[in-house]
Amino acid sequence: MARLCLLALVVPAALPARAQPALVAELAATSVEITTGFTGGSILVFGTAARPIGATGDEILVVATGPGQPMVVRQKVRVLGFWVNGPAARFPDVPGYYAIAGTRPPWEMLPEPERQERRLGLDALPLRATGRQAPAFRAALLDLKQQEGLWAEQASPVAIAGGQLFHARLPLPATVMTGDYTVQVLLVRQARVVARQELIFRVDRVGTAASINALARQAPALYGLLCVAVAALAGWIGSILFRRG
Amino acid sequence: MQVYLPIAEMSVDALLLLGIGFGVGWLSGLFGVGGGFLMTPLLILTGIPSPVAVASGACQTLGASVSGLMSHWRRGNVDVRMGLTLLAGGVVGSVLGVQAFALLRRLGQVDLAVAFFYIVVLGAVGLLMVRESLGAMLRRGRTTPTRLHEHFWMHGLPFKVRYRKSRLYISVIPPMLAGFGIGILSAVMGVGGGFMLVPVMIYLLGMPTAVVIGTSLFQVVFVSANVTLLQAIQTGSVDVVLVLLLLAGGVSGAQFGAAMGAKLRGEQTRFLLGLLVLAVAASLLWGLVQTPVSTFVIGPAP
Repeated sequence: MARLCLLALVVPAALPARAQPALVAELAATSVEITTGFTGGSILVFGTAARPIGATGDEILVVATGPGQPMVVRQKVRVLGFWVNGPAARFPDVPGYYAIAGTRPPWEMLPEPERQERRLGLDALPLRATGRQAPAFRAALLDLKQQEGLWAEQASPVAIAGGQLFHARLPLPATVMTGDYTVQVLLVRQARVVARQELIFRVDRVGTAASINALARQAPALYGLLCVAVAALAGWIGSILFRRG
Repeated sequence: MQVYLPIAEMSVDALLLLGIGFGVGWLSGLFGVGGGFLMTPLLILTGIPSPVAVASGACQTLGASVSGLMSHWRRGNVDVRMGLTLLAGGVVGSVLGVQAFALLRRLGQVDLAVAFFYIVVLGAVGLLMVRESLGAMLRRGRTTPTRLHEHFWMHGLPFKVRYRKSRLYISVIPPMLAGFGIGILSAVMGVGGGFMLVPVMIYLLGMPTAVVIGTSLFQVVFVSANVTLLQAIQTGSVDVVLVLLLLAGGVSGAQFGAAMGAKLRGEQTRFLLGLLVLAVAASLLWGLVQTPVSTFVIGPAP
């Protein structure tokens, strides 16, 4: 509850000074844990607004952005009948995850300059490349990220209950990156953003998967030695077990 | 049952991996080969990234070969001096191979290089096996005179060493070169290389068959251990969960395969294995030639 009150203070209301904030949003869970059995999850955002929400009243936009990561896009070219990786474009800072959902698609809610400036929508992402500059590389990045389920636009629209409560579920595939994700909730009234709230969501590796990955990154030599020992031991024990059995 | 592979950073069906392990283990028991040359391409066809498939394949080969080495060691079928000579070349080859692998990864050409190596090596080995076994099936019954190895230019090389167990007095250069070449293949293909080392030892070095398998396992175990360690340090792509799943299936499969292999005729099994090897090579070749669904690929920048 303390958190809800704090968040409420951040909201700049276009309304006259009143106790009730224009927008209150919260996450059903503030983190997702990647265990050895992880097959994907979702970010569930819910909340309410002071005035009725719906096509005729206020509207809601939810945007989740994952940590940035440098990416390479390579074009396959045909050499002597074989498809090989040819020219490449490097994108130094690409969000590992990006999902946007609204009561309506963002391009219907907001004027184009404001939507571009607030980076609402996949086409508004600032993707700058070094190396090959051809727009085909940017298009391929957008296309392949969406195929992997890591970038999504209106995957499931924001649902409204009784004109008061809204909720949106943003899917997280099994390949999500770990780190801090920001979830922005925007209240749109007459093509203007009138209230905004930012929430933090964490993706963490836990358990065996986390320790293995951490060891492999922090002490690769020790991890390599352990792999050798574990494989040798497993092969030896296995052959004894199955020979007798 | 899905399991999350911590290094590959993807979730895969555990039963599929156990099944691949069992199948390859069964074949390796049946044909008396390590099976690494089938494991790595199958993993790649399942969607495991090539670097992880190769590095984990080397680690799996180590586990699968250890028990074989131990039983040959107990029976005294390992020529340690020859094994160490091969290993000296093997270590240098695998160090260079892992450097080349890391370089290819930076250039984004790992998939191509791995597939290319596999197509050439498997294609050649498969064709030789099919030809040899067909010949043996046609010639069945006829005996060919056996003789000790012939002497040719190789025996004029310097740095001769006496290998007592192999009853050889030869230069260290040919075994070191053979070890070196197989070390490179081990690093780039994730295989032990037994399927290439054994013919080299029999036909080129002229070693007696009794010590060939034990000595080649000696080289395979230590070279694949070296490759595992170097891949873990240099490319960080050894997935221990993947290795354990493959070993669990593989070790059990190998025992069944070995029991069945005892009942089959040698040239028939070699013919079938040759066809299998050619089929794997053909499917990898098809993957390179076929027009891809998307002509772009994305990946994290190295």
